[in-house]
Formats: sequence, C-alpha cells, structure tokens
Amino acid sequence: MEELFHNLALGFSVAAHPTNLGLCLLGALVGTLIGVLPGIGPTATIAMLLPITFGLPPVGALIMLAGIYYGAMYGGSTTAILVNIPGEAASVVTTLDGFQMAKQGRAGAALAIAALGSFFAGCVATVVVAALGKPLTSVALQFGPAEYFSLMVLGMVFAVVLAKGSVPKAITMILVGLILSMVGTDIETGQTRMTFGIIELSDGIGFVGLAMGVFGFSEIMRNLEVAEQRELVQKKVTGLMPTRKDIRDATPAVIRGTLLGSLLGILPGGGTILSAFGSYTLEKKIAKDPSRFGKGAIEGVAGPESANNAASQTSFIPLLTLGIPPNAVMALMVGAMTIHGIVPGPQVMTKQPDLFWGLVASMWLGNLMLVIINLPLVGLWVRLLRVPYRLLFPMILVFCCIGIYTLNNTPFDVVMTGLFGLLGYWFIKHDLEPAPMLLGFVLGPLMEENLRRAMLLARGDATVFLTRPISAGLIALSAILLIVAVLPMIRGKRDEVFVE
Amino acid sequence: MTQAGETAAERPPLFGFIRNPQDFFGALALVVFSVIAYWASSDLPGMHGIQFGPGTAPRLFIGLLIFVSLGIMLHAVIVTGPKLERFAIRGPLFVTAAVFVFAATIRSLGLIPSSFLLVVVSSMATPEMRWLETIVWGAILAAFCAVLFPYALNLPMPLWPGY
Amino acid sequence: MKKLLLALGAALLATVPAAAQSDYPTRPITVIVPFAAGGPTDTVTRIVGEHMSRTLGQQLVVENVVGAGGTTASTRAMRATPDGYTIITGHMGTHAASVGLYPKLAYDPRKDFEPIGLIAGTPILILAKKDFPAKDLKEFIAYVKANGSKLNEAHAGVGSVSFTTCLLLNHLLGVKPTLIPFTGTGPSMNALVAGQVDYMCDQIVNAVPQVQAGTIKAYAVATPQRNPALPDVPTTVEAGLPDYQTSAWNALFAPKGTPKPILDKLSAALDKALSDETVRKRLLDLGSDIPEGKARGQEALAAHVKAEIDKWTPIIKAAGIEAK
Repeated sequence: MEELFHNLALGFSVAAHPTNLGLCLLGALVGTLIGVLPGIGPTATIAMLLPITFGLPPVGALIMLAGIYYGAMYGGSTTAILVNIPGEAASVVTTLDGFQMAKQGRAGAALAIAALGSFFAGCVATVVVAALGKPLTSVALQFGPAEYFSLMVLGMVFAVVLAKGSVPKAITMILVGLILSMVGTDIETGQTRMTFGIIELSDGIGFVGLAMGVFGFSEIMRNLEVAEQRELVQKKVTGLMPTRKDIRDATPAVIRGTLLGSLLGILPGGGTILSAFGSYTLEKKIAKDPSRFGKGAIEGVAGPESANNAASQTSFIPLLTLGIPPNAVMALMVGAMTIHGIVPGPQVMTKQPDLFWGLVASMWLGNLMLVIINLPLVGLWVRLLRVPYRLLFPMILVFCCIGIYTLNNTPFDVVMTGLFGLLGYWFIKHDLEPAPMLLGFVLGPLMEENLRRAMLLARGDATVFLTRPISAGLIALSAILLIVAVLPMIRGKRDEVFVE
Repeated sequence: MTQAGETAAERPPLFGFIRNPQDFFGALALVVFSVIAYWASSDLPGMHGIQFGPGTAPRLFIGLLIFVSLGIMLHAVIVTGPKLERFAIRGPLFVTAAVFVFAATIRSLGLIPSSFLLVVVSSMATPEMRWLETIVWGAILAAFCAVLFPYALNLPMPLWPGY
Repeated sequence: MKKLLLALGAALLATVPAAAQSDYPTRPITVIVPFAAGGPTDTVTRIVGEHMSRTLGQQLVVENVVGAGGTTASTRAMRATPDGYTIITGHMGTHAASVGLYPKLAYDPRKDFEPIGLIAGTPILILAKKDFPAKDLKEFIAYVKANGSKLNEAHAGVGSVSFTTCLLLNHLLGVKPTLIPFTGTGPSMNALVAGQVDYMCDQIVNAVPQVQAGTIKAYAVATPQRNPALPDVPTTVEAGLPDYQTSAWNALFAPKGTPKPILDKLSAALDKALSDETVRKRLLDLGSDIPEGKARGQEALAAHVKAEIDKWTPIIKAAGIEAK
C-alpha cells in the first residue's frame, strides 16, 4: 500500500510537470474535437498526430496520445446523445436512452451525467490500474479462445435483453448483424466471403459507416417526415444541468457501471463494448420499472457511459504490463513508444517507472480536464440543437460524409453509408432495432474467430467450452440470463392466448 | 420491399389475413435477405472433418435467421399488431442522393465543391428549404470544412479539382 | 463575414498549382502506405519521409490505405498519374508474396512499378512459448519434426508477414503444424505469451521486449548477422538452419512511367535519409536492417523484388494457400 502511494506520488510529480500538464490538456481538447466530429475516430487522429509527437519527450508524447484517446472516447458519446450517431462501438448503447433524453429536451442533463459519470469511473479505474494492474494481467492471460467465445455468447445474450421490443425480433437483428460481419476475408483460409467480387468489401463492412447509416442518416430521414414534432423538441429544452433526482437515480448506476467496466476492460478485444452493453443490461434488469429504458432513462446513460470510460482506462493494463496492444489505438501507442525508443513490454514498470506511473497519473488528470472542458460545452451543444433543422441536418451530413471518407480515403465507404441509411430507415418503419444488430456485428467476428480457434486447438472437441471452468461459468451465466429474459415473454404469450 | 409494403397498406383485402403487417413484411424481407446471403455464401466450403470451413458459420446463422423470421411471420398472421407505416419519398431520396453526389465528386472535384453540392442537394430533402439561405450556408460549411480537415486536423485531401 | 469568405476563397484558389515538371517537386508528394498508421511499415515510412521532405523541399504526406493485405493500396498506386507526386511504400507482402497469394492480382510488382529504393528490413525471429521443451534451434527442429501436426503455430492472418515467413520455415523443415489464425500480431503474441500456442515467426520489433522479459523464447534470427537488439540470439546460420533467411523489407516504388529524372531525385533523397545519423538511429532502434552501398538504389530493388517473387511463389503454391 505504501509502495502504491509512493508510486502514485512519483506519477503525479511527472504528470504535473507544466509541459506534461499542457500536453494532457491539448490531447484532451483535440480528442474531444475528434470525438465530436462523427466518423473521425481516435485511430485516425492518433495516426495523423503521430508525426507531431516525434519532437516531444516520450512521456509527454504518450500523455498527449492517451489524452486524445479518452477525449475521443468521451466526445463520441456527445454525438450519440445529440444526433443519434455513435462515434464508436461502445456509444451505441448511449444512443438508446441518451438520444431519447435529448428528444425530451434533456440533452443537457444527459451530457452532464455522462461527463460526471465518466469522471467518477476514470478516477476509480486509475486506482485499479495502479493497484491491481499486475494481478489482473494474469487473469487476462487465462482467457484463451474458448473463454472468449463463451464471453461473446454472453454478449449476444446482453443484446437480447437490452432490446426494447419483442425478443424474436431482437434475435433476428443480432443474426443480421452476425451475417453482415462475415462479409470479407475469412481469417483461416483467406477466402473472401459474400463480397460479390467487390474488392472494397474484402476487408469487410466498416463499423463506422454501418453505425452512422442505420443510426444517424436514418434518424435524419425520419426527422424530415415529422416536422411538427421536431419543433417541439427544439423548443422544449429545459435546464442544462441534471436535477437532484437525476443525480440520485444515476449514482448507483454509475458505481455499478464503473465496477463492471473496470473488470471487462482488461480483456483485449470487445472488452469496452461488452462493458457498455453489460451495464445497460444490468440496469434494465434490476430497475423497478424496466419499461422506462429506451425512453430516456437516465440510468441507461449513466451506467454504460461510466462502464465505457472505466473500461477504456483499464484497457491500458495489457499494454502497460505485457506490452501487447489489445486494440488498434493501443497498437498506435506502441508505435509511438517505439519511435521514441521505448520498447513497451513487461519491464516498462520496473525499468521506466516515471513513464509508467506518469501515464497512470495523467489518466486521472486527463479525466479531470475532460470534465472541465466538457461541462461548459454542454450549454454550447444544447444551443446547437436549436439551430433550425433545415440547416442542422445538412451540416451533420457534411461532417459525417467527410469523416467517413477520411477513414480509408475511399468514396466507396461513403456510398455504403448512404445505403445503410436507407436500410436503417426501413428498420424504423418495421420497428426493428438497430442496436442488437450492431452488437452482433461487432461481436460476430470475435465469436466466430474464437470458436474456430478453440475448435482447432481442441482438435474438434466441442466439450472444451464446458470443461474449462471460466468458459463453463460464462456459458452458465448466459443460459440463466437468457431464461430470465425469455420466461416473461412465454408467460406473456400465454396470457395473450387466454385473452383471445 | 418498400413497394410490397405500400401496396399492402392500400389494398387490405388481398392481405387481409395478416394481422400484423409491420412484422409480417419486415420478417419477409429478412427472409429475402437471407436467401440472397445464402446464395452469396453458397460457393464457400463448409465443414471438412473436424474443422470449420469459411462457409460454416455464415450458413448456420443464415439458417437461424430464416427460421426465426418465418416464426415471426407466422406469429404476425395470428396476433394483431401495428399497421404498416407510410414511407416518405422526398427525405430519403434527397438525403441519399446528396451522399452519393458527395461520393462521386470528392475525388474529382475536391472537398470544397463536393461538400457544397452535398449541402445543396440534401437541403432539397425538406420543403422548408430556401434557396439563397441554402447557398450561403453551403458556402460557409464548405469553407469551414476546407480549413478544419486539411489544416487543423492535418488530413490530406484535395480541395479543388485537379489538386 | 462576407469579406472573410472572399479572402478565404482567394487563399484557397491560390493553392491550385501551376503544372511544372522541370523543377520537381513543386507541391507535396503523397506516399501511400498500404497498412494502418503506427504499424512497422508506416513508422519506417514516416521516419525516412520526414528527412526526405527536408531534402526535396516539399512535404511527403503519408496516406494510409488499408485493405486486402495491402493490395488495394498497391492497385491504387499503380493507377496513379506517374508524375512523381504519388509514390508507395511496398513491402514483402504487397510486392512479392502477393503474386503467389492472389491469383487475380491487378498488378505485377515487377512490371507495373518503377523501383526507387529499399528503405529497411525487419529481421524475422523463430519464437516459441516459454515452456517449449527445446533449448536451442537444433532441439527445436527435432521436436517440431517429431510432433508435426500436434503442435500449434500462431500467425497474424493469411498473407501477413508472420504467416508467410513461417510458411517458409515449415517448408524447409517439411512439417505441417496446425495453423491457428489471429488477427494481427498483438493477439498472436498474446496467445504465445499465455502459452496457448507453441511457436510462431514474427518481426523482431514485436518480440524484443517479450524475449528480454523471458515470457517467450527466441531460437534464432533469420539474418546473416546477429541483431544488436538481441545480441544473445544466434543467427540461423550459426544455429544450423542457414537456408532460413528472411526479413520483412519495405521499399519505395513509383507507378510505371514516372520520368527517370524524378525517380533519380527521389532515390537520391532516400539515400541521403538512410545516411543520416538520426534516421539511422531511429531505424536501428526498431531492430531494422538498413541496406548499405550497393544494396540501395533502383537496380538493387528491382533485382530484390524479382528474387523475392521467385522465392515466395513456389512456397505459397506448395502450401495450397490461395486468397481469392
């Protein structure tokens, strides 16, 4: 414990150096800007800022890159709440209740709760990284393909539970997502699947385009239909800050989300998104009145946002303790470190304690800065919603299209996004929810890959999923959750039949 | 898909046996989607021995989707549900057209003309559009993006034709 | 507002360049990198690109175009106007192994590109999990031969460097282990550290920290000389598998038809960058091999591409791997 304080003190002395403080602020600012611009993700940003960091000292460069990363993660939820466009996979959940809150004129409260919840989560997760980094790493190493597959199964069950409407329709949407995710190159044989010979599809359908299309563009199309309702939304904006009741409702959700996120974040691949979906499922299941969810329940914003932020913080653990980047952004961080002559690996903690603890401390400072930057911005964002819709929607479209184009510098992605917009519009008309589809889409490849890997490693023995304890536990949990979700439906059906 | 839906809404007698047209036609379209996906994945090898082939998982999920979708259709015949909603034409048409125009021109015309076109075409999606306002707004947005993306964000892209 | 807009418009119009060839380069040069930013190819390109920009007096702008193992980017570069304003960083995968891997490849690396010069190569290591029961390469070879398909070999995806280079190793040893595919070097390294797979081949830059920390074992480096980053790891020549020589090389190419004077200017700028102390230090820190003397330049690269294609195509064909 004493050692922990000593280390944190070292970290803060590094992070609080004026240069590093400035870089942290700059990173958080740029990250927020990037996150708010739809389409331009943290990966693209860090990529373009990488050359700038050439001239900076290594600790400063990393602090800035980390600032951009969680700034962008946070900024992504702003667009999710304001215009129903999830910037990255984890903020899909935020659209469910966040955008509904905005429609009811409570965008300010949603944004503020997201900021405060994220800050709380960030504080806790920083301590988790500092105190439990090492032991959690060994847990993460216990996760082999079989465990990942079972975890993905659990993720799919989350998607069923979080659905607003009918369970079978949610299942069909998950399946649509799974099938769409399989477009592209097969990892084992290198064969292309369902690409219709289109070379641009050989790496699969992009998440950002799909999410932007089915959420953002289709929402614009629907909004254009209902002119009167729109006016109402724009006039109804009430207080900017959450009420005391909002805070009372949200606090337990924030705490639960933080714990869940801190745990799931250490799992490379899907940890962040699973934590957001998992937190939403949890809040909905334990709520006294689950029907409020999807209609603007503040817990549905507070929980997942905290989980998401905690997870993005703890996702640094595998990078810091093992030197293995768990996702594309972290891979870029490794690139940045190697350019500066730091070889990230198991020894960074002991060989370069100033770097390790400086980065950990800067996470906390970065979160503080995000709150300082974003709370005043809430007013600005909410005012943006008052711009007449006939001017607002072309603006959203311009930013989206340019953002999508810059992902791979190809017009093809833009065309696909347009088509997904039409698809999303059609989904709305048939009351099919896009959120389960996106979860299926994101988890699909992970699920299939790990299933195949596990089967290859077990030489075709399918019992491996039940004989390995962690995997068996996850499967059992999925089964219980699914039964809990489906039972009321079956009972409900019986009632319907009796009524007839 | 869209047309089938609208015809059904206008001519209830023919599809009168369907008590929940929204779900029925939604699921029907998913079945059509599955059939197309099945056709697209039919050339992929399936299981060989103990190993999964590239086609195994897609076909498994496609099969499940058909199964669940048919279930929903059956349910929609038995239990009454919401009617089909009307599909608007103007909004989706111009929004999508604007996006396509942007895609077609971004490489050849550059960022400024193509984002201007995007604003103008998409604005036609709403009857509230005013020409002068739209043109001024388009120019402002195009200029703003021309500064924001290539300069502030350091993302290389052509601004004008030929550059 | 109006004035501002006018001024802005005028400023933007001024950036439209006049066509000029003799005093090349008169505007920024786009370097297409066929992989994601932050990866080894991207990093190497940015390091030399920055120095080349200073020599040429114009910015080299990196454009990352990912997809289909880098062949999407190479196809685009092939079709670009051959005026020296679009060049590409090709590598072992895009400009050699792709010929065997993709039967419908839209370009021929030997005919559709003008070589500018090799940038650097990253040596390949033979790696195994921590408790792999072999103490040196000889024992490793014997064990792999004895156990064959019972062993699991990880790779970072069909067509990746770790996939192709290990194909060569397996081909030389005449073994067929069970191939476990991962998406990227991070996840495959994770599986090796966790002991879920037995062995793999990977670029030195990814493996150094793990080898130093003792979380995985390195049996040999596939180059003629030992690498300064891991001086204790023997070369394949020393350890008894001299035929296993391979490295993930990166090189600059221009589309076919780019005028010779422009190519020469670019080659000279690259040569100057590779002689610069700071650039060299950065590249060596990454564990890279820098080509020296005759190994640099256009002719050397042309010969290298040809040799690499001849080396990889039969191995890939023999393994029966073909991406469609």
